[in-house]
Amino acid sequence: MNRKLTWMLLFGIAALFTQCKDSGDEVEADDENELITSVTLTFTEVGTGTVTTFAYKDPDGDGGNAPTKFDTISLKANTSYTLTPAFLDESKTPIDDITAEIKEKAYEHLLVYTPNPTTLLTYTYGDKDTNGYPIGLTGTAKAGAAGTGTLKVQLRHQPNAKNGTITPGSDDVNLDFNLKVK
Amino acid sequence: MKKYLFLHLIIITSSISYGQNPSCTCFIKGVVLDQHSSQPIVGATVLLTGTTNGVFTDNKGRYEIRNLCPGSYQLEARIVGYSVYKQTIDLTAGHEQNFTLLEQEVHLKDVEITAQRTDAPSSQPLTTISGNDLEQTRGQTLGESLKGITGVTSMQTGSSISKPVIHGLHSNRVLIMNSGVRQEGQQWGSEHAPEIDPFVATRLSVIKGAAGVRYGSDAIGGVILVEPEELPFNKPLSGEVNLVGFTNGRQGVASSTVQGGIKGLSGFGWRAQGTIKRGGNLRTPNYFLDNTGISEKNFSLGAGYRHKGFGIDLFYSRFDTKIGIFSGSHIGSVTDLLNVINNGEPFVKSGFSYKIGRPDQNVTHDLLKAETHYNFQDGNRLQWTIAQQVNNRNEYDLHVPRNDSIAALNHPELTFKLNTLTNDVIWDHKPIAGKIAGQVGVSTLYQYNLMTGRPLIPNFNQFNISVFWIERYVKNDWEFEAGVRYDYRKLSTHRIVSRQKISNYFDFHNGSGTVGATRNLTEHLSARINAGSTWRAPNVSELFSDGVHHGAAAFEKGDSTLHPEKAFNSIASIKYASEKLTIEIGGYFNYIKDFIYLKPQPEPILTVRGAFPYFKYTQTDASFKGIDVSAAWQFVKNITATSKLSYLKAYDTRNDNYLVMIPANRWDNQVKYEIPALANLHNVFFSVGNLWVARQKRVPPNSDFMPPPAAYSLWNIQAGGTIHISNKQQLEIGLSVQNLFNTVYRDYMNRFRYYADDIGRNASLRLKWKFGA
Repeated sequence: MNRKLTWMLLFGIAALFTQCKDSGDEVEADDENELITSVTLTFTEVGTGTVTTFAYKDPDGDGGNAPTKFDTISLKANTSYTLTPAFLDESKTPIDDITAEIKEKAYEHLLVYTPNPTTLLTYTYGDKDTNGYPIGLTGTAKAGAAGTGTLKVQLRHQPNAKNGTITPGSDDVNLDFNLKVK
Repeated sequence: MKKYLFLHLIIITSSISYGQNPSCTCFIKGVVLDQHSSQPIVGATVLLTGTTNGVFTDNKGRYEIRNLCPGSYQLEARIVGYSVYKQTIDLTAGHEQNFTLLEQEVHLKDVEITAQRTDAPSSQPLTTISGNDLEQTRGQTLGESLKGITGVTSMQTGSSISKPVIHGLHSNRVLIMNSGVRQEGQQWGSEHAPEIDPFVATRLSVIKGAAGVRYGSDAIGGVILVEPEELPFNKPLSGEVNLVGFTNGRQGVASSTVQGGIKGLSGFGWRAQGTIKRGGNLRTPNYFLDNTGISEKNFSLGAGYRHKGFGIDLFYSRFDTKIGIFSGSHIGSVTDLLNVINNGEPFVKSGFSYKIGRPDQNVTHDLLKAETHYNFQDGNRLQWTIAQQVNNRNEYDLHVPRNDSIAALNHPELTFKLNTLTNDVIWDHKPIAGKIAGQVGVSTLYQYNLMTGRPLIPNFNQFNISVFWIERYVKNDWEFEAGVRYDYRKLSTHRIVSRQKISNYFDFHNGSGTVGATRNLTEHLSARINAGSTWRAPNVSELFSDGVHHGAAAFEKGDSTLHPEKAFNSIASIKYASEKLTIEIGGYFNYIKDFIYLKPQPEPILTVRGAFPYFKYTQTDASFKGIDVSAAWQFVKNITATSKLSYLKAYDTRNDNYLVMIPANRWDNQVKYEIPALANLHNVFFSVGNLWVARQKRVPPNSDFMPPPAAYSLWNIQAGGTIHISNKQQLEIGLSVQNLFNTVYRDYMNRFRYYADDIGRNASLRLKWKFGA
């Protein structure tokens, strides 16, 4: 009886090690398809052509280390700028140029710039997708009276639902940059 | 694992010839055998219910009860380690005639009593859904099927993903035993439903409270047993075909089972079973939910052999599901979520469609099991179960990659491959003096998990070894049990952090114990009490989460320094059962030390999608106090009222606060009218029911984006019956309408309550054709 029991136990435990595998040998790097690690806003002053850039950077994506950069946008009062945003995914090798992909799929993306208070800035879209809806990859930002507040930059992802309003879809970017108008 | 008791009852009714008073000379005798081994069972108690007239089976399993008067008796067979079995025996048939009984005219009646062997702690409430009650749940998911049990609720992600919740605990704190094997999927995920087809089971049982000693760690909340029937050894071909249609989602389910023995080969039995399910977009009272279809294809094969004391069972099952996730639940930021909440209904509108697009889950679960056992002549029994499970989970996000060439590959954004090998060796020692029975077991588990895609949890390897020992002692009206267990777990995790492989190693070990007693006070009244401790090691998501959980619009961060939770459970219940009235009242108090939960942090976390509320896996002490009441009262002939009440109060005792995601209290009432059998029509019934669910008022302040939904009350009706086509064929028909009045409601335990209402009216028609034995 006991011999049988021991024998069976041994056999049972031996069976355990017949197919051990180490998950450590097959670790794959994270791969997030919608990741955006940096958002750069380039303001080109109309007339002078002076270029200023402001950026948000979080190279390792959500979690891990905190964002490394989150600039305050500083603009001159009552001045017009051409605003061009750029988006990158630096976690990939080679670095993924999201801006180009947005351009390619302009019919499902919409950039929305919302100043708070609204007197700080007025944004006018400078581009349209194939359906005649705005995109926001280029446009005019006119700084208003001096003051401080925020500029919310949203990249709305609206596959099969883009209708020119902010409502459909979901945020791929939603950042509140501090805004100083001097 | 089951054994059967066969009581071959030989009922001899006799009357003495003319001129003598008919006296009480009837007797019942027979033998109690184990079906697997055909070995006699020694020391089983056989008694007539309500009398003290009980006998023990002798060393050949034989028993005899003599000197019985004519009448109807209820015979009870009991042995430690088996559920009590009751059978009514009529000792009146043929008794009124006065004739001289010749030997050939002995009335013989073979009554087959199949008593379920039970591994469940007998001093803990075990509720089983089988037979008609189970039939009424056919076509639903496992989580939904169990909702009829008091104290069991479900946590949902929309309407197609449902996870069982026992006494307020779920996911990793509830263990599911699928055909005797510990189900290993990605249980930690709140939107990861158990990968089990309820059609494989003929019994679904729930053990409420910690049953960790017998089943292993993690079973803090309870254990769900999904049990198929014993294979039909040496039986003729039989089977069933089930067809279920639901109006909501226009869902159709077809499932069939074929089984039998093998002619000319003694000792064999086999079974094949398969299910197909297909449903489309579900509808709330006011709108359709886009992309909420489901497509499921499952099958299982079983075969077994019995010879003398030896038995082997092989079982393979495959579960394959594709579940659409309501597309209106996709959000990128907190702003998105608040917009949907303020809108009061989803922005995404759709009509009806069977199409399942993104976001969706595609999950397959394969289980291969071999169970061998040997019953020794002296009553010892040895069993070894080895099983492998492969769980492949693929999750697709709403948005494909922006890059067309990558998008064209249509890869899932997240894949998990979990491979598990379990071994259980259990020795049931022979009953000592017919009163003490017990078992000693060793279990091992080895698993590894491979992840690709979005960062969520690391790869891990896990090894577990446990030993347990349980003893039961039965004396007169008392039954005691006690058990101990020790588990050791080794966990190694591997992940890539800034292009470097980081490995972490953990060792967890702990003991658990249980003591319990059951007392039969009178024929109708019994009481049971159980106290136990069990534990649960933190799982990988609690150790290593680090990112936004989009379903919850929360940033969740794990903590690799967490230590195991320890639970102290106590549960007491009292049951009164008579012919017309059954009442069971159970109270429980569970204290979980170092309960792991997501603690809100004061500062939000900044991501490119804006700031998210920040939650960190933290430990506290929590108490769960509750009462389950269920009562059935036949107040008029053929009319039965059933009432079930579940009350639960959970509290964070360390921080003096409530806990989130605790099911609200509920009260379920039903009135059933049973129509007496007519010719070929049996079990015809009609019932009306109402479920009232309170508002969950006990939530921590400011812990949520929206307050818990209001209380709701849902009405349902059911009707059904069985047509006996012939001796060997039956057709069962069932009709039901859930949410009869198309009530608009949201449930606190549905994670999609932010986005949409729960589903509206759902009528269903069930047909079941049974043939053969």
